[in-house]
Amino acid sequence: MSMLTVSNLSRYFGGLAAVVDMSFTVEKGEIVGLIGPNGAGKTTVFNMLSGFIPPTSGEIIYQGRRMNGLKPHQICELGVTRTFQVVQPFPDMTVLENTMIGAYVRHPNTTDAKRKALETLERVDLDAKADKLGRDLTLLELKRLEIGKALASEPDLLLLDEAAAGLKDTEIEDILTLIRQLNREGMTLLIVEHLMKVIMNLSHRIIVLDFGKMIAEGTPQEISQHPAVLEAYLGKDE
Amino acid sequence: MIFSYELLAQAIVTGILIGGIFALISVGLSMIWGVMRIINFAHGEFLMIGMYIAYFLTAKAGWDPYLTIFITTPMLFLVGALIFQSTIRPILKDPSMNQIMLTLGLSLILQNLALVVFKADVLTSSTAYTRMNFMLGPVVVRGSQLIAFVGSALTAVFLYWFLQKTESGRAIRATAQNREAAALVGVNVRTTYLLAFGIGSATLGVAASLMIPFYYTSPTVGLFFGLIAYVVVVLGGLGNFIGALVAGLIIGLTESVGAAMLPGSLSRVLTYSLFVVVLLFRPQGIFGGKQQ
Amino acid sequence: MKTVWTQKGFLIPAGALLIAILLPIFASEYALHIAVLVLLYAYLSTAWNVLGGYAGQHSLGHSLFLGIGAYTSTFLFTKIGLTPWVGMWIGALLAGLVGWFVGYLCFRYGLKGPYFALVTIAIAEAMVSLTNNINFIGGAMGLEVKWLGNSPLLMQFESKAGYYYIALVMLVIALWLVYWLSRQRFGYHLIAVRENEDAAEALGVDTLRVKIQASILSAFLTALGGTFFAQYFTYINPRNVFGEGPSIQILLFAIVGGLGTVWGPAVGALVLVPIAELARGWLGGSFAGAHLLLYGTVMVLVMLFMPKGIIGLYESIRQRLKRGSSAPEEERTPA
Ligand SMILES: Nc1ncnc2c1ncn2[C@@H]1O[C@H](COP(=O)(O)OP(=O)(O)OP(=O)(O)O)[C@@H](O)[C@H]1O
Ligand SMILES: [Mg+2]
Repeated sequence: MSMLTVSNLSRYFGGLAAVVDMSFTVEKGEIVGLIGPNGAGKTTVFNMLSGFIPPTSGEIIYQGRRMNGLKPHQICELGVTRTFQVVQPFPDMTVLENTMIGAYVRHPNTTDAKRKALETLERVDLDAKADKLGRDLTLLELKRLEIGKALASEPDLLLLDEAAAGLKDTEIEDILTLIRQLNREGMTLLIVEHLMKVIMNLSHRIIVLDFGKMIAEGTPQEISQHPAVLEAYLGKDE
Repeated sequence: MIFSYELLAQAIVTGILIGGIFALISVGLSMIWGVMRIINFAHGEFLMIGMYIAYFLTAKAGWDPYLTIFITTPMLFLVGALIFQSTIRPILKDPSMNQIMLTLGLSLILQNLALVVFKADVLTSSTAYTRMNFMLGPVVVRGSQLIAFVGSALTAVFLYWFLQKTESGRAIRATAQNREAAALVGVNVRTTYLLAFGIGSATLGVAASLMIPFYYTSPTVGLFFGLIAYVVVVLGGLGNFIGALVAGLIIGLTESVGAAMLPGSLSRVLTYSLFVVVLLFRPQGIFGGKQQ
Repeated sequence: MKTVWTQKGFLIPAGALLIAILLPIFASEYALHIAVLVLLYAYLSTAWNVLGGYAGQHSLGHSLFLGIGAYTSTFLFTKIGLTPWVGMWIGALLAGLVGWFVGYLCFRYGLKGPYFALVTIAIAEAMVSLTNNINFIGGAMGLEVKWLGNSPLLMQFESKAGYYYIALVMLVIALWLVYWLSRQRFGYHLIAVRENEDAAEALGVDTLRVKIQASILSAFLTALGGTFFAQYFTYINPRNVFGEGPSIQILLFAIVGGLGTVWGPAVGALVLVPIAELARGWLGGSFAGAHLLLYGTVMVLVMLFMPKGIIGLYESIRQRLKRGSSAPEEERTPA
């Protein structure tokens, strides 16, 4: 049985079809890439997977359990945590406290949560900034915090929405290393990313969305030669 | 309370007439919200200022109450503009709660200043219009309330015309719809804010003069009318001009019919409950579309 | 949130507590009266702060809970002779229930910011009108707490010192409770909800439940203060417990002192209440609204010039001093 099974998932905003009849699976231990041009519906898929918006139709099954109708916090408790494309820090809390909110999911006790948070901050290279306020961080630090908060909740399936967007090459390299390492430790990841080199590098499998429809699915090798994908990307000036 | 159709008819007529005034008191608040997303908790106290001005001009200086409009309206514009510039403009970008606290503070200041200056006395000024009643079948129509209703309607029509047809009015509407876009097409947003706040307050000057023949003046009069204005504005949809007018009538009817049907001042409970229910289930107001 | 009071910093509260305990020995009855008011409003504001400051849900109608506490114990005392010591818990439970109901209604339907503020005002105002019309609790005339002589068992004292110590104990417990909570998961969840609800929800925080729990706790504590309010002033009526005035006073000190901080409400009350009471004393009966005029002015000035309150100001000064003395900040890449 797949870890995550999505069947016939659709979401309409009024007349706008953001996601149409999408079906895919994610297997345990995989890194799956979700790509598509701007406005293709990637974030909308994440919003549905994480319980922030209800699907118009379709079903989401995680570990054999139907997730439709669950609230985001319940989905997080079940082991699926998402990050936000537009970073969402707690501005008036320190970096450590930001991360503790994630850590509390598995460690209700403050001492344990703090330890877990510090551990996590080391992984995302923010331990030196633990006492800084969320509002005082740079974009790079915010991007790292966004991942750190999610990691602290010890998800089995991590949904990363453009974690590398806006970063410099060396910074992206750090994130690539981190993701690979997490995966090696057994974490399953679904990642949305615009940067082709990130996606092609990391993903075991790639799903391509265009105007809300799945137009292709396959290995990075297959995707890079897929005619529909080439058209979706190259047909527009990019 | 004994029910009778005469009583009901009387309550409906009074409710509609009072509702007109409620509407007039609320359109300004609604416009200010629409343009700059600020709920002015001192709105009721602005009305109180207008009523004191109108009271002194009629009771002490012997003016005709309706003539005082020419004083109260510009005065209230000035009061609004001054308060806006000095206290509200600096916090336009602050969290909405800070704005609420600030305007709440303003309302405390104005209310208690009035208490210092005018004492807690409830003042009524008896004018020729106060006693000018006539019968419509079994129903008593108070002339002063009818005039207030007509005056409110005329003011609303004038305001509507102003918003639709004049350059400044269009600037206000454009800013309410989309501040950035308005700025792009050359609207001076700063001035427009000031103008909107001034006009929103000036409507209270009109309302104050219209009310003076039949409503008492006191330092705390703003509390009730302030709350009524929030109720009306929320019911009509924050920032919705026509909505505020219709909601004014609805609240007028609720208050007045409620007062006829329920013992004591329980009709107030009805009004507030309506308010809570609307905020919970239709925060965009009864006429608003879907809101995100 | 890193607080001001590190281990070493506990010297200040400990010292303050010691002075507070000894105060009745040398204070006059009038000074003691002002001290009681400081403690009462510090306590009420601390209770409000749980929901308003920590969870960021600014109730403008907390008089609802003050009134429920005051009316419940006073009603039970005057009608069946139940001691307020018991009545206060019944009132608090009742208020907790109402706090749950109001919280559930508002937060279930996603009311936020100004909308939540408006609903809370409306509910409190509705309560004024409602109680005005209920005759067996005295209608608009209200209820009087009968004076049965000095009787600690009925929470009645000849001297102000009795009330003073009760208020002191209540405040200390409330402060301790908030301090403790602010270091628990629940406390962090409250702040997370205030700071960013979506982020909190994505990280497993049941934001609806947290807000409702904050509402219940805040209502419960406020109602306990309501009983004390009634016992101390010995007279309550709909306007003076359910009205707008008490609602504003309940939240004012938290705002002036510092929202969402343990000590903010107490500091705010300590600074403001004496000034207001002295002003009221000087101006005598000729000017009933002196303290409210002052409070309004303070609210405006605080919002204009120090929206983070006294504690916030203190913190930023401290930060600046620290930054000035230590090595220069490492350079920041622009975001
Ligand atoms: N809450 C919403 N209400 C209305 N329309 C929405 C909403 N959220 C997304 N949309 C629309 O749905 C479509 C898909 O948006 P989505 O954010 O999922 O795209 P995306 O693939 O994540 O794009 P990007 O690469 O720019 O992040 C867009 O046309 C967007 O405008
Ligand atoms: Mg996106």
